[in-house]
Formats: sequence, structure tokens, C-alpha cells
Amino acid sequence: MNDSCSETVRLMKLAIDQANLAMDALEVPVGCVIVHDGKVISSGRNRTTETRNATRHAEMEAVDVLLEQWQKNGLSMSEVAEKFSNCTLYVTCEPCIMCASALSILGIKEVFYGCSNDKFGGCGSILSLHQNSTDSPNNEVPLGKGFKCTGGIMASEAVLLLRTFYEQGNPNAPKPHRPVAVASDKNELELVHQ
Amino acid sequence: MMNKQFDTCEIVHIPEKEPHDLHNQPTEFVFASAIDPQNANHIVRRLNQIAPLENLRHVKRIQKKVLERGQVQLSVILCAASEGDNQLDSVPPALQELISSFQLSPFITKVCKYAATSKEEWQEQCKIWPTSYHPRTYNIDGITGFSDENSECIFKFMQSAMELATSDGVVVNAAVIVDPSAKQIISRARDQVFAWSTNKENSSIDSSCNRKSEFSSSDVISNNFATHESFQVNESNNQLKQPYTGVACLYPWQWAKQQLHSQSSYYCHPLRHAAMVAVESSAARDRYIFPSEENNGEKPLELDHENPSSTSSPAKRQKTVCTTVENDDDQLKARNQSSNQLLERPYLCTGYDIYLVWEPCTMCAMALVHQRIRRIFYAFPNRNAGALGSVHRLQGEKSLNHHYAVFRVLLPEEALHKCHTEVPQT
Ligand SMILES: [Zn+2]
Ligand SMILES: [Zn+2]
Repeated sequence: MNDSCSETVRLMKLAIDQANLAMDALEVPVGCVIVHDGKVISSGRNRTTETRNATRHAEMEAVDVLLEQWQKNGLSMSEVAEKFSNCTLYVTCEPCIMCASALSILGIKEVFYGCSNDKFGGCGSILSLHQNSTDSPNNEVPLGKGFKCTGGIMASEAVLLLRTFYEQGNPNAPKPHRPVAVASDKNELELVHQ
Repeated sequence: MMNKQFDTCEIVHIPEKEPHDLHNQPTEFVFASAIDPQNANHIVRRLNQIAPLENLRHVKRIQKKVLERGQVQLSVILCAASEGDNQLDSVPPALQELISSFQLSPFITKVCKYAATSKEEWQEQCKIWPTSYHPRTYNIDGITGFSDENSECIFKFMQSAMELATSDGVVVNAAVIVDPSAKQIISRARDQVFAWSTNKENSSIDSSCNRKSEFSSSDVISNNFATHESFQVNESNNQLKQPYTGVACLYPWQWAKQQLHSQSSYYCHPLRHAAMVAVESSAARDRYIFPSEENNGEKPLELDHENPSSTSSPAKRQKTVCTTVENDDDQLKARNQSSNQLLERPYLCTGYDIYLVWEPCTMCAMALVHQRIRRIFYAFPNRNAGALGSVHRLQGEKSLNHHYAVFRVLLPEEALHKCHTEVPQT
């Protein structure tokens, strides 16, 4: 029990390392790693400013690495699906509605996240897409796949990163009409994943 | 002639809230009492102090009825009542006092629980007890209706999306991102779940600005629609005859069933739904036309960061980008760089519209929130996974930092199959 706990923290620290990379690149500091058979097989961090594509969240970045890798290795789609069904994601902030849907589409096994995402969260905060498990009656195409989801892993570290980011101001963001300084954790998280 | 044809097709706003059954709106119980009109001012002032209607702000405190002989009868709401509670025991002492000092005789009645979202709802509400109705304080073009000219444009862009969706054997979803102020296509994409070329850069820009033939071919399609007149799009048409299993947003989980082995030039990517690819292309276009912010000090322009629901009028933005469609990309780029003084880069897709043949799934719909799309137009609902009214309703999620307006362009299923078969060679 303790072992799995410290292992979870170890992996979340790697996700935080990724978030720090994002911070260094003046991106909203959210990072993640994907783990298969106890091994980190992919990592990603927010890249929305650089790409000017607001969908390039850490999770999407990490998933793209895997899809490319696995298919280069000649895996078929059902094999890719099989792989994802054995993957666990560690991400510093609750996946947004888009990423949570994507993780459900991919059929990921489990997600651990740091702080919750009060504004966009798709794993309990706004929608609960991880509980989205409905098998079709005729047993053909599923109408949704759920995944196990646990929040609050190193949440204060994740929040601290975001707070630091928004306190120093995001030089790439368009000038907001209100000061960027953050009054509370809640406000701060509202700025996540922009 | 064209306008006449467009009149037969409809563009329907898909509101943020599921509309209530007009004649069966949720209600709540309140205590009310008839009062002497002479005391009305005094009583209402006092009531507002001691028993404000916190959760029923849309409900009017006073109901005025004109009786048979021209007599006016006023009734006032005293306070909320819980169901089955016809005793006044729970009423605060100050209110008890008021009731006895004016010798009121309270009775229980119903009022509508939620503020009306349409004039029709409001009219029905007032039959129960008067409410106030505030039409939305913000307006995104089109919620209050489209001009003929605008609907003509909307149909052309939707037909462009349909053409794209059916352009390659299997019907897939297609997305067209448009700058409505310049009537300019920004990017267009088909689902790329099963045919994703690794050469990303290649696929991104070509589709951007220079579709000279866009309108002429769309015109032809419009006329074809016209020959199949009076589409009766009703509820029964919500069920399309074919399953369209190639449409990614309709069957997001289908990809895993494919036995397809990847080949050298094709990759499968379960997340490359048309809307995602179109967003990526629009971002690539942005990076291409406005290469670097450091160099020219250009900052993206977001007109209404703090109040995105008032959705930035594209008219405020310079129309310099891409208004001259005949240029090739390089000329366009050069022109834009030389006119940097005039040119302001929109922040992401602020002010842009997207046309989708099918209602997007939750992933795609949220991607369009992130990218700040202004309006979404789709033709067919997505009962499996649609996030704009069918399964979820993201346009009504108040917590999101951006809200787009959503419209359904009512078209018959046949429109999908007419796109190609009947376009005359030109
Ligand atoms: Zn996300
Ligand atoms: Zn989709």
C-alpha cells in the first residue's frame, strides 16, 4: 500500500517536472507522464502558446507521441487500443473536458491528477466523463468508456506552479482587462489551461 | 430565386438551456394575499425588506387582475412556501405582523421557478403569475435571426462542409472555419482518424485561404438543392437513414475495432476528428501569416477577454487578412507583413465561425471552446456523443471561460448525397 503510494508520488513528480518545463517555456505549467507496465513511456506538457493551438494540452502532446511510436512499430489499431487500456496517466491538473473525452475515446485505464480544475474539469469538476461507461445494448460499439480517476496527488505543488505562473504574469497571454494577480486558489485555477 | 430557396431551409438556434415544455414549466409554491390597492406601495416596500424573493427574482411581487366590472384586484406574494405546507407557522415574525396589521388572508399559489428564456415561455408564465422577461443581454449575431444575405452565406459554407464530408467515398465529418467578417475560409478539414498523413505541415496550410473556386462550386450546389424543393425537416428526419459509421464524432470509440495495420504513409489517429484538425490548421495558418511576435511586437488581439460571452464583434478587427483571395500564400504573407500597422492578429479563433456536418462530440466541442470559436453551425444532430444539446450542452456550462452560440442548419439527409452526384461539370 505504502509502496504504491510512494510510487504514485514518484510518478507525479515526473509530471511536475514536465510542468516546470512548460513554465520555463512561458507556457501554462501543466505536465503529464503516461505509464505502461510501471515504466514511463511518454510525457507531455502544455504547448498552447507556442503552437497558438489552444488544444495542445499536456495530455494531447503525450498521447501523440505514443500513437506515432506504436504505429511506427507496426501495431494495428486493436493492438494500439489494447496498449492504451493498460496505460495510466499522471497529470498535474485535472484533465479538462476535452482531454477527459479524449482519454475516454482512447480507453485509458486510469488517471491520477494533482489539483482540480474548477472551470474546465472533465473528471468531476464540471462533467464526469470518467464515469461515462455505457456499453451498447447490442454489444457492438460502446457509447462511452470510463476510467478510474484519483485526484489530489501533490495538489499543492501543482497549484503553486500555477500561482507562480499567473503572479509573474503570462507574457504570451493577451492583456486581460483585470490584473493577473490571483486572489485565491479558486480564481487561479480558473485560469488553468487557457 | 436563390433567396427564395434559402427561405425554405431553416437555421435554428440551439439555446444554452434545454427549453422547458412551454405549457408545463417548473413551478414553486408561494404564499400570496389580496391587498387593498391603497396599501400596495407600503406593503411591497415592507415585504422587500423583510421577505425578499431571493431565488425568484424574475417573479413580479404584485399581480394585477381586472375584474368584470372594471374593478382592479391586486395580489402580492408574501413569501415562498414549501410544498404541502399550508400553515403559516414557518413565516418570520415580522411578516406575521404585517399580515395581521393589514388583515391579509394568505393563500397558496404557484409561480414559475425559472426565468423565461423566450418570449413564448414568458407569455405562458404570466398566465400563472406575472414574471419579468429580460431578453439576453449579450447578442451573438444570429440568435435573433439571420438576414437573407447572411443565411445565404451560411448555407454556402455549410454546403462547402458537406461537399468536403462526401468528397472521398466514405462519408466522414467535415469542418470549415470561417472568418464571417471577410466571408473567408480560414481552414477546412475532414476526419483524419484513418487517413492521417504524417506530413503535417503539408496538410495544414494548403487548405487555408486560397480557395478561389469555393463560392462558384458552392453556388452550383445551392441550385441543386433548389431543384429538390421543400425539405420537410421535422423530428422524424432527426433519424438519418444510414448509420454513417465513418463519422468520427458519431462513433468516437469505433476506431479500436479497426483491424487496419498502419502503412507507410497512413497513420490512424483516434483523436483527429475534423474539428480538431481544422483548429490545428487554423493555428498553422496563424503561425504562417504572423510568424513571430518577438519580431514585430505584435500581440494577439482578444477583444473581450473578461466577458467573452459578449463575443467580440469581428467588425472591430481589421479586415486586411485574406480579403484578396486570389493571392498565393507568399504574396498574402508579404502583404500582411507590409501592412503590419493596419493588421491586428485575432486571438486564436476569436470572431470565427465553424461549420460542421455533424454535431461535434464532447472532445471537439470543448476544443472549440478552448480555441474561442464564436459560432458553431451543424447540420445533423449526434445522438451518440453530441455535446451541443444531444448528450451534453457545453454552450450552457456557465463555468467555462468562453461561450459560443450554436445553430443547427436544417437540411435533409439527401443533401449529403446531392453534393457530388449532381454537380454539373464546369
Ligand atoms: Zn485539456
Ligand atoms: Zn469529435
